[in-house]
Amino acid sequence: MNLYAYAIIDSTGGVEESIRGLLGAPVYTIPYRDIGIVVSDLKAQAQIKNEESVLKHEEVVEALMDRFTVLPMKSYTIFDKKEELLLKVKEHYEDFTENLDRVHNKHEFGIKIIWAGNVIRERIALAHKNENAPAGPGQPGAKFMKEKFEKYKIDKEFEEEADRCIAIVDGFLNRYVSEKKLEKLKTDNLLLSAVYLVDKEKRDDFKKAFKELKGSGGDLKYMISGPWPAYNFITLSRSGDGKSAATKGAQL
Amino acid sequence: MHKPIKTSQDINTCTELRKRERVTLLEILDRVLEKGVVISGDVVISVADVDLVYLGLKVLLSSVETMERLRGAPFSGAAEEPT
Amino acid sequence: MTKKIETDSLEIFAGEMEKVKDALPKKIVANPENVEKGLAKLVLTLIDLIRKLMEKQAMRRVDAGSLTEEEVERVGETLMKLENKMKELKEIFGLKDEELNINLGPLGDLM
Repeated sequence: MNLYAYAIIDSTGGVEESIRGLLGAPVYTIPYRDIGIVVSDLKAQAQIKNEESVLKHEEVVEALMDRFTVLPMKSYTIFDKKEELLLKVKEHYEDFTENLDRVHNKHEFGIKIIWAGNVIRERIALAHKNENAPAGPGQPGAKFMKEKFEKYKIDKEFEEEADRCIAIVDGFLNRYVSEKKLEKLKTDNLLLSAVYLVDKEKRDDFKKAFKELKGSGGDLKYMISGPWPAYNFITLSRSGDGKSAATKGAQL
Repeated sequence: MHKPIKTSQDINTCTELRKRERVTLLEILDRVLEKGVVISGDVVISVADVDLVYLGLKVLLSSVETMERLRGAPFSGAAEEPT
Repeated sequence: MTKKIETDSLEIFAGEMEKVKDALPKKIVANPENVEKGLAKLVLTLIDLIRKLMEKQAMRRVDAGSLTEEEVERVGETLMKLENKMKELKEIFGLKDEELNINLGPLGDLM
């Protein structure tokens, strides 16, 4: 029997018996000092590489959200021995308690904003085209550089425009937010893909500010999702497999 | 025999639901597959994340197919053939 | 499942998020059949990253006006050759631009 881990919580127990996890297995807490790791039993050969399991994982995590401070695990964190699991929890105990304190009473919200990126880019490109003298026959290297530079200028202006818009977003939301992570221009049209850690008490203010932002004009489309447990705001000082955070990104 | 009446509103609602499911799924997968506490369990399951998302797409496509069968008519805009 | 998405533009977001999903870095699955291709992808991605960084740096200097005409010509020729070489290599390994989109973590942020 393996152990499938869902989350770390700030409690040694008290998980409702009615919560079911992957493949219908009951969910329970393994305590460690003053925290707990929420798990369910999983047969060794169980088929769980599917959408259903992933959604179940999220369902369990959300069921915990209201009563506990939750550090959700990345999906497919599985142990074959309870001792291994406890060893890992012990290893990261300081990290976990620090994170639990930091996200206590806070939930994550995701905001995505779409703008008419390609239209804006075209507008900028057109403006630049009118400025530039037609490229005469020149030396190949210089010609290459000129073309690249024109693209560079357009990109730069495009990004500056994005920065201006995002600054406006920040202006509306910042004061209700404990932490945030912003991704600018994941695609030309996806101006902003952001996650915000918001104190429960400030949630209504945050939502109100978002509404005001929406009404502030500009041809923008908005999407908000949440509340989520703080998936994006977990920091571990050391990854579990001994690698530093820097190498974790390069996936082979 | 009663043939279900296909109104453009019905189609729109179904397409809406499908898109909402899709967007929700993407939001969940982005968190659950990529974020959260990363400690390696000693049982490592390598998940082809991309496969998982496509699997989800297949699931959605088959539910669209089922709906089509029940309605007796194709959805407008359902251009993809499930592989 | 309680659902959590609020938007007036579901269609537009669905479309855009699909694009992002397609641009997601693919994991390199290193099994015997494709380990070479996987390695080629990694190596070429890193080379391309360096090339793009050099290009960007050159652009910054052009912007700042800190290159002589001669330097512009020389740098331009070199970058051009690098770009063409890159295209050749991609062709040799049968890789498309989208395939060199490996998640380089913090390195990727340098761009």
